[in-house]
Amino acid sequence: MTHAPAHFLMLLCLFPMAAFGQESGGESQQQPGTEYQIDLAQIEKETEKKPYSLGGFLEFQPAFSVLDEESAFYRLRFPRRNEEGILQQYNSGLRLEGSYQKGAAGFYVTGNGLLKKDYLGWKGNVDLYQGYLSLRVSPNLTLDVGKKVIKWGKGYAWNPVAFVDRPKNPEDPLEALEGFYVLSADFVKSFQGPLKTLAFSPVVLPVTGSVNHEFGESAHVNVGGKLSSLLWDTDLDFLFLAGSSRSTRYGIDLSRNIRSNFEVHGEWAWITDFQRSSPTGSAASAGKSTAHSMLAGARYLTASELTVIAEYYHNGTGFFPDDMDVFYQNVRTPEASSPAGSQLSSFQQTLSGTNFMRDYLYVRASQKEPFGILYLTPEVTSIVGRGDGSFTLIPGITYSPRTNLQLRLRGAFLIGGRGTEYGEKQNDFRMELRMRYFY
Amino acid sequence: MFRRTIAIFAFVALLVAPAFAADVDGEEILKKLDRNLAPASFESYRKLINIEPDGSTREYLLYTVKKGNDKIAALFLSPPSEKGRATLRLGDNMWLYIPDVGKPIRITSLQSVIGGVFNNADIMSLDYHVEYSVSQIEDRGSEYLLDLKAKTGAVAYDRLKMTVDKKLLVPLEIQCIAASGMLIKTLHFKEMKKFEDGITRPAVIETDSPLYRGYKSIMVYAVIKSRTFADEVFTLPFLPRLETLR
Repeated sequence: MTHAPAHFLMLLCLFPMAAFGQESGGESQQQPGTEYQIDLAQIEKETEKKPYSLGGFLEFQPAFSVLDEESAFYRLRFPRRNEEGILQQYNSGLRLEGSYQKGAAGFYVTGNGLLKKDYLGWKGNVDLYQGYLSLRVSPNLTLDVGKKVIKWGKGYAWNPVAFVDRPKNPEDPLEALEGFYVLSADFVKSFQGPLKTLAFSPVVLPVTGSVNHEFGESAHVNVGGKLSSLLWDTDLDFLFLAGSSRSTRYGIDLSRNIRSNFEVHGEWAWITDFQRSSPTGSAASAGKSTAHSMLAGARYLTASELTVIAEYYHNGTGFFPDDMDVFYQNVRTPEASSPAGSQLSSFQQTLSGTNFMRDYLYVRASQKEPFGILYLTPEVTSIVGRGDGSFTLIPGITYSPRTNLQLRLRGAFLIGGRGTEYGEKQNDFRMELRMRYFY
Repeated sequence: MFRRTIAIFAFVALLVAPAFAADVDGEEILKKLDRNLAPASFESYRKLINIEPDGSTREYLLYTVKKGNDKIAALFLSPPSEKGRATLRLGDNMWLYIPDVGKPIRITSLQSVIGGVFNNADIMSLDYHVEYSVSQIEDRGSEYLLDLKAKTGAVAYDRLKMTVDKKLLVPLEIQCIAASGMLIKTLHFKEMKKFEDGITRPAVIETDSPLYRGYKSIMVYAVIKSRTFADEVFTLPFLPRLETLR
């Protein structure tokens, strides 16, 4: 990972090459009322395959947040209390995705550049999300080596069995994540009868001081795997991760369509030798124990094309409300307000992830193209912390006014009293507009 | 008494015979029509075009592979906003793969893969004789009118009224009707074209819908080619790798 606006600008320079180096396609304009002319020869020409591809998107995302100056996370983020009222941010991003295929081998790369402007000034980031070599030995066997995203689990907002993924943001769960350097394979076999597919996907993930060091303890080689099946029209997976960078863990997940418009899914994870800690970073219990995390969810589609996703998540490694009470009290001590204070960095590190408590409910409802307006999707999402009753409510609207252009406007209300998860976040409200142009 | 019984049997036989004959003929016609539209296992390239009331269009290029009666997978090749998005259908099971999400998600078979007039039923349909049975057939001189009923509730359109060219045994028009009896859309088959493997069929399917007044959608078949695939091509681990088949 690098942090340089210069790298972002280099990535930006590649954008016009990619955008104009290939046929834009996808959109044209004709006179209303005239017959659409179909050029079959032109369409046949478009089906010709090139060995390489280059694409991605350019993004601009202005956002403003209404700060809660009394909240615990405001105190951590702004120890000098130097930001008041409304915080403005302007993010520009560039995603670059490329591939080259020759025969059974292919190389795939995904890069992400981000340029931020906020109260701290300009800051640039260029990250390699993926960069791996793939070899399709046969339809039954594929080998991959390099930096790759491995996605496990059936849940929409959370995945307790995602043992080799980075945690996703439940408020934006469909966004791409950065991968890890791995050696992985997929062995697949199809059958007739109730067991239609059986697949085994092993993963080897080394951790050293310079490779995958964010994953866990370094100087270890970790081995994981997923045995997946389609059995009696049910997706059923068994998963494990062993190695010394993280404690050994096992998981199971499943997904099934109960009816043609109703899907159910679930995950269960057993995490062995889990050392419970307090939010301030110190050990909360003397010994290690086994933690269980689970998720149960459903997706329902109504006749009017309203999709509802509901999930319950129990985070067995999360904090208890009593732990957090102590934490919130500690944040308000004078020592915690000192930027040089050792406690401060400890707090931020421990709670850098989202949803660090134990029980959550997630509900998302999205309506496809209401009132016959094509390419428009209004939606509302809510995440409720069951332990303290605080919640966030995120209404939003996505619209594609033309091919390859996507606009998303959404707000987030964070509601809860003092001493609750969402009540102690740095914002009371956040509004953002995201404009993406795909090329 | 005996004569009376014989007469009743004869009367009942007369009543049901046409229905049986129609049923058998109808199923046979439907199977032949399916083979005239595409081989049992094939790969194809299609362009989906949405034409909006102001004349602007949106175009999607789709690569599709199919095997037998219950396996089909499709990959969007363009536009860039949809590129890499893939769907897999195994019988009534359906999954969607979005490159950013990085894993296949099980979806309900009635869900739309992209916005606009097209839905999964248009993009991921199996052979007509697999999803529908013929409930009625009417001989209209140079055409047949088939009344088709969905075999399961997992199919988007409960009934189809299909007008078939009697000589060529290809559809000319299909009315798609919901279980409520409401007309959802009408498909018009046009422009006969010779494809490989002796397939001659309409290359263009125009769609209009009373639900989207002023909008029109067109599906254009550019390539249909007989090809056999390993069963493992139609599995979740292979879904992100569909592009490697091209």
